[in-house]
Amino acid sequence: MDIDQKFSPIRKGLLEFLVLKIISGTTVYVADILKRLSGTEFATQEGTLYPLLSRLRREGLVDYEWQESEAGPPRKYYRLTAAGQSQLAELDEYWARINKTIVALGI
Amino acid sequence: MQRVITVSLNGNAYQLEDDAYPALAAYLEESMRALAANPDKDEIMADLEQAIADKCARYLNPHKTVLARAEIAQVIAEMGPVADEASDLAARAARSSESRTAGGPTGAGAATPEPAPRRLYQISEGAIVSGVCNGIAAYFKVDVTLVRVIFVALLFLTGGAALLGYLVLMFVVPYASTSEEHAEARGLPFNARALVERAKQKYSEFRSSPDWRRSRAEWRQEWRRARAEWRLEWRRARAEWRAHRRAYRGSAPFPPPPVGPAPAPVPYAAHVVAGTLLAVLGLVLALFTIGWLLALASLVMTGAVFGWPLPHDVPVWVAIVALLVLYNLVAWPIKAARRAAYYPRSGYHAPWVAAWDSVVGLAILAALLSYAYGHVPEVHDFFDHLRHVWDHSFDSRHLDSASRLL
Repeated sequence: MDIDQKFSPIRKGLLEFLVLKIISGTTVYVADILKRLSGTEFATQEGTLYPLLSRLRREGLVDYEWQESEAGPPRKYYRLTAAGQSQLAELDEYWARINKTIVALGI
Repeated sequence: MQRVITVSLNGNAYQLEDDAYPALAAYLEESMRALAANPDKDEIMADLEQAIADKCARYLNPHKTVLARAEIAQVIAEMGPVADEASDLAARAARSSESRTAGGPTGAGAATPEPAPRRLYQISEGAIVSGVCNGIAAYFKVDVTLVRVIFVALLFLTGGAALLGYLVLMFVVPYASTSEEHAEARGLPFNARALVERAKQKYSEFRSSPDWRRSRAEWRQEWRRARAEWRLEWRRARAEWRAHRRAYRGSAPFPPPPVGPAPAPVPYAAHVVAGTLLAVLGLVLALFTIGWLLALASLVMTGAVFGWPLPHDVPVWVAIVALLVLYNLVAWPIKAARRAAYYPRSGYHAPWVAAWDSVVGLAILAALLSYAYGHVPEVHDFFDHLRHVWDHSFDSRHLDSASRLL
C-alpha cells in the first residue's frame, strides 16, 4: 500500500475544510475551486465536488447566487454564510491543534 | 460516416456520434443511481450536465459541431465518478449489516444488477460466412470454433439439411450493429462500469495467456484495423456512388439517407419479421420461378402449356410474351415486398444482404431442381426429354443454318 492510498480517507475528510477555505476568500464558481485544487494532493473532479457543495449548502455553510458570464450560461457563484465562517474558524483551529500534536510527537 | 445523436444537456442541444452516446448515457445513469438518496438530486444532476456541456463546448467550433467518442470519454474521465456521501454511508451501513446478519435486508441502491437481456444476433466481426455461428457462440458463451465444428458435423450427419437451417438463421436473425446490440448478443450488462470490468478481465486474460496467443491477438487486432479502413474506403466509395446516382436520377435513392437526427432504432422483433419475410417471399419467388420456367419450356417444346393446347390462331411467340408478362405481374409485388424488407435489416449491411440474397436464391433454386430431378419421375423425364430435344435440334437444324450463314 503506497502513501497516497494510506492517506486517501484523510484527504477525503479534509476536502470539505479546503473547499470552505477556498470559498472564504471571495465568491468562486466550481471551475475556480477545481483549478485551485488541481496540482495539489487534493485534486478533485466535478463528480465529487457538486455533491459536496450541495451538502454544504443544505447544512447552511455556503450559499450561491447566479451570475451572468461573458461567455456561456449563467454560473453559480458560491460564498460562505455566517455559519460557514464560524465553522471554518473552528476547523482551522482544530487543524492547527492536530498539526501541533503531530509536531510535538516528534520523529 | 456515423449517425449523429442529439442530446439535451441541461437544456441545450449537443450532437454526439452514434458510438459516443452509450458512454455518456451510462455515466449519467450511474450518477443518477449514486445520487438516488440525495434530496438535491435534480439540482446536482443539472449541475453535472452543465459541467459536461461546458467541457464539450471546448471541442466544438463552427467547423466542428459533433462530438466523437474519444472526446466524450475524455470529458467523462475529467468529470470523475459521482460519489454521494449520503448514499456512501448508507451503502456502507447496509454492507456491514449484511455481513453481520447474512441474508438480511438488501442495502438501498446496492441491489444486484438484473440480468442483462440476451438475444441471438449475427456478428459479422470475425465471421466466415455471415456471422450466424459467431452469434450463436456469443449467445451460449462458448468458443466460436466449437460451434463451427458442431455445425460442420451436423452438415454431414443431416446430409446437408443443416445448411438450410443456417440459411434460415442467416435471414431471420438480425445483425448486431450498435454497441448495445453487441452487448445484448453477449448477454452482458451495458453500462460504463460493466465495460470497464470487461476490459479489466480481458486485460488480465491477455496478461496471463502464453505468447502464441498474444501474437495471435495482436495479429487479429491488426487485421481488424485494416478491415475497418477498407470498410471506410468502401463506404466512402458507396456514398460517392450514391451521390452520383442521386444527381443523375434527381430523386431520393432507396433507402432514404439519414438526415439530421438518426432514425429510431428498429426493434429486434421488426428485424426478425423482416428477415422471415425475406426468406419466405424468397422461397415463394423461387417456387414460382421454377413453375414458370417449366411452363415456358413445355410451351417451347410441345406447343402447349402443361398439356393445355394454345388456341389455334395464337402463335407461340404471343404465348411466350404473355407468359413473360404474367411472370412479371406476379413476381413484381413479391420483389417489391422483399426489397422493402431489406430496410429494417441494419443499414450498411443492406447491400450485402441483397447480394447474399441473390446467391442464396440461386442456390435454393438449384437445390429444389436437383431434388425434383432425383425424386419426381415426371421432372426427371422432362429433363431427359429436354436434353434429347436439345441434341436433336442442334444436330439437324441449327448447325445447318449456322453453317449456311457462315
